[in-house]
Amino acid sequence: MRTPVNDTMSIPHLIMNASTVVQLVMLILVLGSILSWVVIFQRSLVLSRAKKAHKAFEEHFWSGVDLNDLYRQIPAERESLGGEHLFRAGFREFHRLLPKAKSPQAILDGVQRSMRVAWSREEERLNLHLVFLATVASASPYIGLFGTVWGIMGSFQSLSMAQQATLATVAPWIAEALIATAMGLFAAIPAVIFYNRLSAETGRLLGKYEDFAEEFHSILHRNLQGRGESAAA
Amino acid sequence: MAREEHRVGYGLPALLAIGVHLLVVGLSMLSLVPSARTEPPSAAVVQATLVSTETATDQAQRAQEARARAAARQQAEAEAAREAERQAQEVEARQAQEQAAREAAEAESQRQAAEEARVEAQRRAEEAERQARLREEQAAEQEAERQRQAEEQRRREEEAERQRQAEEQRRREEEAERQRQAEEQRRREEEAERQRQAEEQRRREEEAERQRQAEEQRRREEEAERQRQAEEQRRREEAARRAAEAAGGSLDSLIASEQEAIANARQANEAANGFQALVRRAVEQAWIIPPGSVDGLEATLALNLLPTGELVGVSVVRGSGDAGFDRSALQAVERAAPFREMRQLPAAAQSQFRQFNLRFRPGDIR
Repeated sequence: MRTPVNDTMSIPHLIMNASTVVQLVMLILVLGSILSWVVIFQRSLVLSRAKKAHKAFEEHFWSGVDLNDLYRQIPAERESLGGEHLFRAGFREFHRLLPKAKSPQAILDGVQRSMRVAWSREEERLNLHLVFLATVASASPYIGLFGTVWGIMGSFQSLSMAQQATLATVAPWIAEALIATAMGLFAAIPAVIFYNRLSAETGRLLGKYEDFAEEFHSILHRNLQGRGESAAA
Repeated sequence: MAREEHRVGYGLPALLAIGVHLLVVGLSMLSLVPSARTEPPSAAVVQATLVSTETATDQAQRAQEARARAAARQQAEAEAAREAERQAQEVEARQAQEQAAREAAEAESQRQAAEEARVEAQRRAEEAERQARLREEQAAEQEAERQRQAEEQRRREEEAERQRQAEEQRRREEEAERQRQAEEQRRREEEAERQRQAEEQRRREEEAERQRQAEEQRRREEEAERQRQAEEQRRREEAARRAAEAAGGSLDSLIASEQEAIANARQANEAANGFQALVRRAVEQAWIIPPGSVDGLEATLALNLLPTGELVGVSVVRGSGDAGFDRSALQAVERAAPFREMRQLPAAAQSQFRQFNLRFRPGDIR
């Protein structure tokens, strides 16, 4: 007696017996959840690696190595990332402008511009797909709610056809309708949490990049001042 | 350094994400499956509660189990004793070997030690035996205690059952009593109600009877009044008629002719006129006119009468000029008195005739 009830009320059975719209909603939610988890893992890995790489690069940078050596160590054939990217862009621009430009201010302007471009690329790279996470976080509860409302509408329609309206006739419908909301929340809650966490980490990392750009800029500025004075002398 | 790891692909995160979802689905399945599996144990629990009410059989089972446990324990003890013995023997053998390798004098002491060990093992075995017996006795005692408690429990339950039944019985009786009283009360109330209604009915009827009688009484009185009035009327009419008859034929005819259709006042007036005429006739009949008096004389006299009709006094108001004629008229009046018809007149007419004037002309008589 109890086993069939348990069987009909089990979650896979309820999902299989749900109406097409509710099943579609569930499919969308499952896809959204999977994709948001993919983004969460991928972004987490990217961020942790970027943080590690930036730390290592900064240590290397401040270890007193010659900047020309450092520039040559970075292989040019593939695109560099993070602080390396900024350094490379700024240093390359500096070298290109140094023979042509007369005033140090023009050189510094050019370096700053190229580093800003590199920083903006880094920002774009780090914030990639985070918008998707935000979308899932905000939209999936509504999608799940839609599935629930649809399922409950169906349950009441079937209730109007039933001769005897008992709780047993409505319960499976409402249960399967509520599964949609549960799935929506299941997709939304990790998305919200990880969106906040990842965006905060991204912001922090971008701040570090900015700090590094400023420091590098000041180094170049110092270098140019010395060179300008020596040229003037 | 970290340059090889710069690129992070989507394969690993996708695998991880799918793994997370499979884990969640698996957990939900797992949480369902044990709930399905836990159903039979719950049924077993239900059976256990059923058995617990049947204390005797359970007791037997438990006693058997306890006995079996005691036996098993005993066996284990024996086993331990044997094991100890065996170990002791082993030790002894080993020591004997060592002893053989060493000196013979020590072998004696070693043997003695082995002996002691054996004795010790024996003692331990005996101790274990004794403990096992003790435990068995304890188990038996416990069992007896349990049976006694079960018996007591059963007795208490029976007692409680008996009390409960007595309570139930008492409650039923109280209920019946209450119902009976309620019934009685209701019957009494109905009775009172019926009596009250009957009383009311009776009172109403009496009231109606009284009203009816009062009505009747009133009607009778009215009837009597009407009859009386009619009687009076009739009597008055009769009196008037009689007076008119007494006054004479013309008056009688006059009264008779007018009696039927004329009202009371009119009748009285007629009677008064009749009375005046009657007086005049009586006076004229008693009047002796002196001879030699001239025709055409006339005299007016004033008459004073009592209500009975007796003459108080008579005087000449206007004389004829002939003294003899006037004196003869006064004498005629005195002779004609009293006028008894006065008594039959109505009161108003009577007062009218206490004092009145009459004019006499002898020419009318002759």
